Amino acid sequence: MHEPTPRIDDFQDMFENSPCGYITLQTNGRIARVNKTLLGWTGHSADDMVGKRFSDFVNIAGRIYYETHIAPLLRMQGFFNEFAIEMVTAAGEPLQMICNASEGRDAAGKPLFTRLALLKATDRRRYEQELLAAREAAKTSLASERETSELREQFIAVLGHDLRNPLASISAGARILGRDAQTEKQHQVVAMLQTTVMRMAELIDNVLDFARGRLGGGITLDRNASRPLEPVLHQIIDELRLSSPGRQIEAEYAIDSPVDCDRTRIGQLASNLVGNALSHGASNLPVRVSAETKDGLFRLSVANGGEPIPEAALEKLFEPFFRGEVRASRQGLGLGLHIASQIAKAHDGVLTVTSTAEETRFTFVMPLR
Amino acid sequence: MVFAHGFGCDQNMWRFVEPAFEGEFRTVLFDHVGAGGSDLKAYDRTKYSTLAGYADDVVEIGRELGLQDAVFVGHSVSSMIGALAAQKSPGMFGRLVMVGPSARYIDDGDYVGGFSEKQIEELLQFLEANHMGWSAQMAPAIMGNPDRPELGEELTNSFCRTDPEIAKAFARVTFTSDNRADLAKVDIPTLILQCSEDIIASREVGEFVHRGIPNSEMVILEATGHCPNLSAPDEVIAAMRTFV
Repeated sequence: MHEPTPRIDDFQDMFENSPCGYITLQTNGRIARVNKTLLGWTGHSADDMVGKRFSDFVNIAGRIYYETHIAPLLRMQGFFNEFAIEMVTAAGEPLQMICNASEGRDAAGKPLFTRLALLKATDRRRYEQELLAAREAAKTSLASERETSELREQFIAVLGHDLRNPLASISAGARILGRDAQTEKQHQVVAMLQTTVMRMAELIDNVLDFARGRLGGGITLDRNASRPLEPVLHQIIDELRLSSPGRQIEAEYAIDSPVDCDRTRIGQLASNLVGNALSHGASNLPVRVSAETKDGLFRLSVANGGEPIPEAALEKLFEPFFRGEVRASRQGLGLGLHIASQIAKAHDGVLTVTSTAEETRFTFVMPLR
Repeated sequence: MVFAHGFGCDQNMWRFVEPAFEGEFRTVLFDHVGAGGSDLKAYDRTKYSTLAGYADDVVEIGRELGLQDAVFVGHSVSSMIGALAAQKSPGMFGRLVMVGPSARYIDDGDYVGGFSEKQIEELLQFLEANHMGWSAQMAPAIMGNPDRPELGEELTNSFCRTDPEIAKAFARVTFTSDNRADLAKVDIPTLILQCSEDIIASREVGEFVHRGIPNSEMVILEATGHCPNLSAPDEVIAAMRTFV
């Protein structure tokens, strides 16, 4: 049999042979008409389809979806575009479709029929399914990654905590030895032991703070504006002078107003900054500390001389585990500045750094409140 | 008279039926949490993993409004939600209307629910393919302002648009529910409206519900499909009038 030559204005031909499928449904959901294109795609004959329900040619999931979403929406808004539906061919094979539907109504709004236009969407559906699968895979791997990282941080927290006990024993032992020390050499060794214990305690504190921050606890503050801050800073700097013989630390205080802060935390911040200046600054130049209250702000700055910090390093300075070039004896974990910046943040303050050939200066500013 | 929508869309499912009763009854329409204009923040995965969670909400609404001897009209899965709510708070509801109810959708031995377990799993997967224009970015605008016409285009499909994850969870709780044992506990007059051709709740399924509920009557509608409240509201209204 020979197909007649198609004509551009032949609407009958356009209905039958359009590059998309057409179905017209009666109001009871039964098929009134199907075009040739759809019959060709599905392998059904017009006799098979006309009079049956559209849902008879759709997989179960599509049937439920049609009844619970599409049919109601057609009644409510008169159309429904771009839904995915899976038809079943005469050979029982699935046929992925994208469908638009609209309801024909009379003047009173009563439904007369429903029209469906269907496009084959096998490739598109495969692509979407791959995207969905990739999303699922990403979700799973993210979850396992999170779990691992949480475990690791818990481990750090436990380790840090358990290191404190043996350290306390060493400290107590050194104190006892110090009482009986006789020679200058013995005194020196005991002093060195105690400096090391102090330094180690600081490292452990930083590790614990870091782990706590990561575990969601963050830096917790115990603010108190009525207690003086200056003695705390004095003590910190005196301790650092003791542990760094031969180094000069110049300190200026002008704290005239109460500072609403956690004094222990600000002490930790000061200790981290001065410790950092002692480690990285030129040993023949003084470390200069100034603490003042002015214009409603508390400002603590710590400056040292020596080689400036390279521009690239400046950006990463406050990131955890960042370590600059430093001599082995003062090698730390690279947490000191990170913790200091976290303490600053917890006080609604900021910690900034400038570095030139003349000096490297860290400045912490917070509102007095 | 409280109207509860089923799985799929929202309270708009009752737009052709509810107006017929608002003269004689105080009518109450609501969206289940997770559907329509409900507050998505209130969606609790655990609570809504059983129909009892939805029934608790119905009871809460009833208590808030001080309902006594009210009529509960539930479509599809909300029929069973109504049956559970009536058990939970005796006296709140005096009559139940069930539109297209099913006590269990999945076949079980001699019981014919109409679906196999595998088919329901397929449905859950299939729901992923139809987001109905849902996007996480648009969600707040849609959910917060379901009645604002100025949202124009974005309102397309909004009556039936749901967060895909919630839609899946609601589909799961709906189609895996088994309330056969609850039917005998329904002790108030119940009207079952059964469509002639309903592939979701077949006539067999409706008859099972009818046999199970002691004081029930069943009306077979000429309407086809699963939503006679939309496709044949006059028939639904007429049957309900005779009952209430």
